[in-house]
Amino acid sequence: MLKINNLNATIDNKSILNGLYLDINPGEVHAIMGPNGSGKSTLSNILSGKKGYEVSGEVLFEEKDLFELETEERAHKGIFLAFQYPLEIPGVNTNIFLKTSLNAVRKARGEKELDAIEFLKLVKEKSKELKFDEEKLNRQLNVGFSGGEKKKNEILQMSLLAPKLSILDETDSGLDIDALKIVADGVNTLRNKNNSFLIITHYQRLLDYIKPDFVHVLMNGKIVKSGGPDLALELEKKGYENFN
Amino acid sequence: MKEQLQKDFNNSIKNLSLSQKDIEIKKFCLDNFIDKGFPNRKEEDWKFSDLSQIIKNNIGELSFYNDQASTNKVDTSVFVDGLEHNKIVFINGRIEKIDFDYEKKDQIEIIDQSETINEFRNSNSLSDLNNAFTNKCFKILVKKGYQLIKPLIIYHTTNSKIWSKNINLRLNFELDKDSSLRLIDLFNDTSEKNFLNIFYNFELKENAVLKNYKVDKFENKNIKYSFNNIDQDKNSISETFILSSGSNFSKNEINCNLNGIYASAFVNGIFSLNSDKHHEIRSIINHLNENTKSYQLIKSVLDESSKAVYQGKIFVNSDAQKTDGYQLSKAILLNKESEFNAKPELEIYADDVKCSHGSASGSLNEDSIFYLMSRGLSYQQSRELLINGFLLDVVEKITDSEIKNLIKNMIGIKE
Ligand SMILES: Nc1ncnc2c1ncn2[C@@H]1O[C@H](COP(=O)(O)OP(=O)(O)OP(=O)(O)O)[C@@H](O)[C@H]1O
Ligand SMILES: [Mg+2]
Repeated sequence: MLKINNLNATIDNKSILNGLYLDINPGEVHAIMGPNGSGKSTLSNILSGKKGYEVSGEVLFEEKDLFELETEERAHKGIFLAFQYPLEIPGVNTNIFLKTSLNAVRKARGEKELDAIEFLKLVKEKSKELKFDEEKLNRQLNVGFSGGEKKKNEILQMSLLAPKLSILDETDSGLDIDALKIVADGVNTLRNKNNSFLIITHYQRLLDYIKPDFVHVLMNGKIVKSGGPDLALELEKKGYENFN
Repeated sequence: MKEQLQKDFNNSIKNLSLSQKDIEIKKFCLDNFIDKGFPNRKEEDWKFSDLSQIIKNNIGELSFYNDQASTNKVDTSVFVDGLEHNKIVFINGRIEKIDFDYEKKDQIEIIDQSETINEFRNSNSLSDLNNAFTNKCFKILVKKGYQLIKPLIIYHTTNSKIWSKNINLRLNFELDKDSSLRLIDLFNDTSEKNFLNIFYNFELKENAVLKNYKVDKFENKNIKYSFNNIDQDKNSISETFILSSGSNFSKNEINCNLNGIYASAFVNGIFSLNSDKHHEIRSIINHLNENTKSYQLIKSVLDESSKAVYQGKIFVNSDAQKTDGYQLSKAILLNKESEFNAKPELEIYADDVKCSHGSASGSLNEDSIFYLMSRGLSYQQSRELLINGFLLDVVEKITDSEIKNLIKNMIGIKE
């Protein structure tokens, strides 16, 4: 599904990713762990099409050159990023945003766009599953949402758009135990033999709820070690020092 | 320009039945205007908008005479649908229709003041020009305790029979104690390259409420100046909202005198400009008594090489203790050629007051665009959502829900 070969990225002449390789097959869950500033969010941003990086190397998504696709086309093709810091967008009603987003993606996939009633029914259902207070959907997008509510809103968007590749950038940071379980449930519901996940986290705890197939350690812009779920336990115990 | 002015002036007073004294006053105003000419950037109030140059570059030579003797046919297709309203229709600066069909007839008085010159002074030469050339002048008097059932829309239209390149008009309003009026000044002018010079005077008695909405939304090549003087007694409220968008050039001046205690004034506005349009709002709020309040919020979205100017002055005299004055302007520049100028001014002579002002401008937030696009929205969709979101809180300041919805529709804000 996703194939990253020798990815390098710089911003303002500062090198952030340095020869990164990663393969994700359909149905797999990969976790990336790594110290602050090692380039995890940069990788997520580049995969979803954020501008401003100078990149080299190759990224293939379903055999196609990802760099040929605009940001919104990547979303249409099924890439989703749950932001580490979801943005507040004043004046934009959350429901209107969700509907515009869902219909843009549905249209691109050749599916029928939802009318207001169909949409509300769906969003109601999904918010209930995620125990997301529906009243918030009538508020301005993320404005005045608590940290945890913003993260839940990301997962709500993920479950509405049902992407093929979901990248979760520290979605677990700032969530209480109950919310963590709910988010994990959201991921596990979407998990099947076609959908893949790239989960960025600092804590092994999330991985108790979402069992990864692979765990990678990212340091100084490249993956320095890969392994199974045990690697996360080892990191939790020993920290990153051994990998330097 | 001098000969043209004198010739057109002589032609236009021929049609009026004025006393010798009134003619003398008009002549005096004409001479003043000839003396001073159009305002230019050397005058402090006009330093961001050199009207003299703007007229020269956009229109060239002006002419001033309009045949006000014959009537024009009212084009009813310009009337706003889906909102019952009273109407005043100006065509080529001539008042063609005053209609208060929805109201109790004995509660509104329409007084023809054409024969009595009441000089309008606002310290620039445009009041002289207006005094010299306005033809008909009416005063709308809303009687004590009467609240108009429907809003009043003033239509400013032009047709192909227009002669002059300059239109001067004037209206006076008096809202007696406890009365209220909702007013929409709507510009439907399609004529090319005229200069409109508009003077309104509002007198708000105790507890009166004026909602004054100015909508310049439709594309046109005209140059507009609109001066609004608002005198306010005790407890009265004036709410002004300006949608500044359609004309090539426009300058709205709001001059509020908060004479009575607890009087309050709200001035909110949107500049939505493209191409090389140049618009300005100049407000002067004079806090002249205790416990008066003013609030101003101006937001701009400027594309291409457009330019917006906001000059807001809050004046507080020594009697006006416990004044509350607030002013904020924010601009989004969509193009590096676009420009926003804010000049806030505070002049305070009382010690127990709360006054603040602020101004910020920047480009559209790239991170927000990325966030929206990463959810499948196109650049265009994302930009539109962000712009509408940016403007929403100013539109929400409109306290009349019917008119708020009308304006939301006009600028394409969906709910
Ligand atoms: N726009 C930018 N300009 C300059 N430097 C940047 C920019 N964005 C990121 N960086 C730098 O790149 C490095 C990697 O940042 P990144 O956000 O990818 O780290 P991260 O692994 O996600 O860290 P964290 O665990 O704290 O979220 C950091 O040193 C950061 O300061
Ligand atoms: Mg990060």
